[in-house]
Amino acid sequence: MKKRIASILMAGLMTFSIFGCGSQAPAAETSDNTQTETKADTTETAPAAEQTESTEAAAIPTDEQITLNMWCIATESDSNRHAYEAAIAEMAEKYPNITLNWEAFENQSYKTKIKAAVSANEMPDIFFTWSCAFLGDFVDAGKVYCLDDVYPKFASELPENMLGNTTYDGKHYGVPTTMNIVGLFANMDLLAEVGYTEVPGTYEEFIACCDALKEKGIIPFGCAGKETWCVTEYLESVIEKSVGADTLNDIFLGRDTWNNPDVAAAVDTFQTLVNNGYFDPSGIGLTNDEVKNNFIAGKYAFYMNGTWNCADFASNAEFLPKVKVAEFPVINSDKAKLGQLIGGPSDTLAVAASSPNAEIAAEYAMELGKLICHYGYLDGCGLPAWTPYGDTSTINPLTQTVADICANADTFVLFGDTAMDADSANTYLSYVDQVYGCQVNGDQFIEGLAKDIR
Amino acid sequence: MESYTLKEESPVIKVIINIFLVIWAVINLFPIYFMFTFSLKSNEEIFGENIIGLPKHWLWSNYSSALNTGNMALYFFNSLLVTTLAIAISIMAAMMACYAITRIKWKFSGLTNAFFMLGLTIPIQASIVPVYVVMSKAHWLNKYSTLIVPYSAFALSMAILICTGFMSEIPFALDEAARIDGCGLFGTFFKIILPLMKPAVSTVGIYSYLQCWNEFMFANVFISDSKHRTLPVGIKALSGQYTTDWGPIGAALAIATFPTLIVYLFLSRKIQASFIAGAVKG
Amino acid sequence: MSEKKKRKIEEGLAIFVFLLPGLFLFISILIAPIAVSVYRSMFDWNGFSEGTFIGFDNYIELFTNGSIKFVNSLKNSLILAFFSVFVQLPLALMLALILGRHETRKERTFLSIFFMPVLISTVVIGQLWLKIYNPDYGLLNRFLDAVHLESWKHVWVGDIKTALGSIIVPTVWQYVGYHMLLMYAGVKGVDLDLREAAMLDGATKWQVDRYVVIPIIKPILRVSVIFAVTGSLKTYDLVRILTEGGPFQSTEVPSTLLENMLFLRNRYGMGSTISVMLILLCFAFALLISAAFKERDE
Repeated sequence: MKKRIASILMAGLMTFSIFGCGSQAPAAETSDNTQTETKADTTETAPAAEQTESTEAAAIPTDEQITLNMWCIATESDSNRHAYEAAIAEMAEKYPNITLNWEAFENQSYKTKIKAAVSANEMPDIFFTWSCAFLGDFVDAGKVYCLDDVYPKFASELPENMLGNTTYDGKHYGVPTTMNIVGLFANMDLLAEVGYTEVPGTYEEFIACCDALKEKGIIPFGCAGKETWCVTEYLESVIEKSVGADTLNDIFLGRDTWNNPDVAAAVDTFQTLVNNGYFDPSGIGLTNDEVKNNFIAGKYAFYMNGTWNCADFASNAEFLPKVKVAEFPVINSDKAKLGQLIGGPSDTLAVAASSPNAEIAAEYAMELGKLICHYGYLDGCGLPAWTPYGDTSTINPLTQTVADICANADTFVLFGDTAMDADSANTYLSYVDQVYGCQVNGDQFIEGLAKDIR
Repeated sequence: MESYTLKEESPVIKVIINIFLVIWAVINLFPIYFMFTFSLKSNEEIFGENIIGLPKHWLWSNYSSALNTGNMALYFFNSLLVTTLAIAISIMAAMMACYAITRIKWKFSGLTNAFFMLGLTIPIQASIVPVYVVMSKAHWLNKYSTLIVPYSAFALSMAILICTGFMSEIPFALDEAARIDGCGLFGTFFKIILPLMKPAVSTVGIYSYLQCWNEFMFANVFISDSKHRTLPVGIKALSGQYTTDWGPIGAALAIATFPTLIVYLFLSRKIQASFIAGAVKG
Repeated sequence: MSEKKKRKIEEGLAIFVFLLPGLFLFISILIAPIAVSVYRSMFDWNGFSEGTFIGFDNYIELFTNGSIKFVNSLKNSLILAFFSVFVQLPLALMLALILGRHETRKERTFLSIFFMPVLISTVVIGQLWLKIYNPDYGLLNRFLDAVHLESWKHVWVGDIKTALGSIIVPTVWQYVGYHMLLMYAGVKGVDLDLREAAMLDGATKWQVDRYVVIPIIKPILRVSVIFAVTGSLKTYDLVRILTEGGPFQSTEVPSTLLENMLFLRNRYGMGSTISVMLILLCFAFALLISAAFKERDE
């Protein structure tokens, strides 16, 4: 049964497409990619596990002592901590001659730290990064080691389409670990109070459900206005399910202008939800931690956020039976359909070009990424970017549902603030903020962004 | 003391004043109570169930997780070491500079003093990247001295401001007597001036302490190995990307604050005296 | 003659040696980076690639680009400075005067307690105030419920009308103790005989404070005003914790903008521009305040 889920998931991953964010024309990129893929497929016919074992033994020398440094954000209380620890322990056993010194930093301060390190050329051999624009800036500056030489060895386990977000000018620079999408989490106890036993599947039903909840004095949505990325989890889903995934992707990646009346209409749809009082009015002054705790405490019926929350909800024995996760319903079926999701692989490991052992670090990062992905998936921290292996039966039911959703996925659109470069992303976030506070309407939103994004 | 209280105020005003003082004291003590109870609660209690009451379940485990997994003891030691040495260096450098500025007559002494006072207006964020680039070129990262040197530089202006006040109180006659006894300028500084500057040490210490102990930006960027991490960065590292357990953070904050408060209570008379001395002289 | 010359040489050497450590620290850590910042502020540069020289364009953009909000952030810090000078300092002065009258037995105890918030980390203070402002279970809204003033309830840190005020209150409160102690020192320094003389002339205690004590502690008041104003221009911690500059960037201050430019938006050149402006402003205000106090004296 569980094996089946894993294989469905894999099949799904193979069929959907994730757009890359490289600066070159995407068409050229795709043809380039397929070439590599076919080559890998034809030359490597041996079973995957055995295959890697033998090639790596050759690539990473086992006789000389090497020290590698790594920075990441898996701090003590991060849900990925255990996956990192387990993966690193396994690597240490396999390569006793490689000493990995790793340090974990808090998420926000890490951004400051890694940027300062890149400016001063003081990067560690292996570092955690977010995909697309965040890594892209470093790649443009020539600070990141290209992984094309080592990738073919792992191609059978790491599908090419998982690398779209870390491919620039047709070259691979990142090792994805887990991927996440936006999920619509629902408190089924509250839904039951208004007569729903399932999460509504169509937008009309969904709105009817919200109205019924409101009638009963239950707040439908919780959303942290103090952390704008939380607002984008709602807004981007609404836009995607109104204008379609391809259109939104083109806009995020700068291939199309923001000046699109359909987007304006979608933003207005979102603001209707706000003005109808579906959102907790207090949310605008709250942090995500506070909103999430409110959701667990039963204050909201729905909570739209990343699927990394599955692990947390699952570990709360009291709350788990109440919660379900689903996909946001389609708003305009002419343009969008189910299976168009927001999310994709973002957590990534990369290798510094300045590393004295870059070649070995690259191999090591690949294998480590695979293991972190494996253990992280088992822990329910997210979905695997690598082909899952081993016994996956212990994975929590929420993550399994998400895996099913992804298996049926058609297109993924990466989170807007990850897809865009740093300056544009912040302009975008400031407009999203104003949309949530109803300071601007849909038309002003698209006009403003079309004008202000450089 | 009683002699000048000729015109007594009405007792009503006195009572009002006292009530005001007590209320203000309660307002100022509240954060300490809050921090202590916060450090013993679970996320559910912190976020809504029980914000200001005493904890329903006294989670002392928050402290053990802050100390064990969070490594707070080491970070505390690091902070203590860095802060102490930074204070020591800034005091020494400040006294020497002060001596040159106030005890020796030369043309540009006033200008030099004004130059140092510029430092009072510089925001710490402004210099972080240039300093980082220089330090990394000099292979001077991930050491205690990586933080000690910038901290003492940032504490320097205030230290000079205070020391100038203290030093100008010392009569010039002492210098002259020393010169007649055959002491050079260096001898005068080390044998006569320095011993007389003892009261300045605790004053400068307090001001510098306030600057260094909670400093986050430099500590975050300059130190990459957890062996040399200081408390503020250590506390931040307790929160995760997607989840945060606030109880241990509260415990870590308490660990960072209570020793200071306890020392302060014991020394409050002396510290206030020197703080005050700094104000008068400054 | 040669004795005098020898002495001059010794003095020159001493000045050099004594200033060396201080100047070395000061120039390498504070002044040189400012020089670098001034230089970098002329570039369009992301911090790691090649930059392009653009002259004073960053300075112009700072005031013309609507999405940077520098003018607004400056306005916020000046409002904060206003409240510091006209609420925080008078409160501190009042406490200092009351405690400095040699009346309350508990003088020392009160003094210690009033100084405590200065010693507590801003993170703790920030968390505490977030709990006070919380729209659902916060003390402030609960209190308003209790006294039936429901219409006064707000999402304090999320409402554009109240967000800045929510930052000003804790900031002003936390440092009352700091200034109080500075002023208390001055009050204590006033000669007892002077007080007595005034009292014998029939002055009330308030009059003594007003006409004897305050004029004497003027230099300390000047230092306090300078610290309050430059401190307000540099505010950072509580804004980060309480509002993150929101809602809609309405509570952004120069330091948070500076950090956003440097580390979030990768606009290193613009970040340098803001830091140069900030240093210039702090310095200008310090001179202005000193001048104002001097004028009053004459």
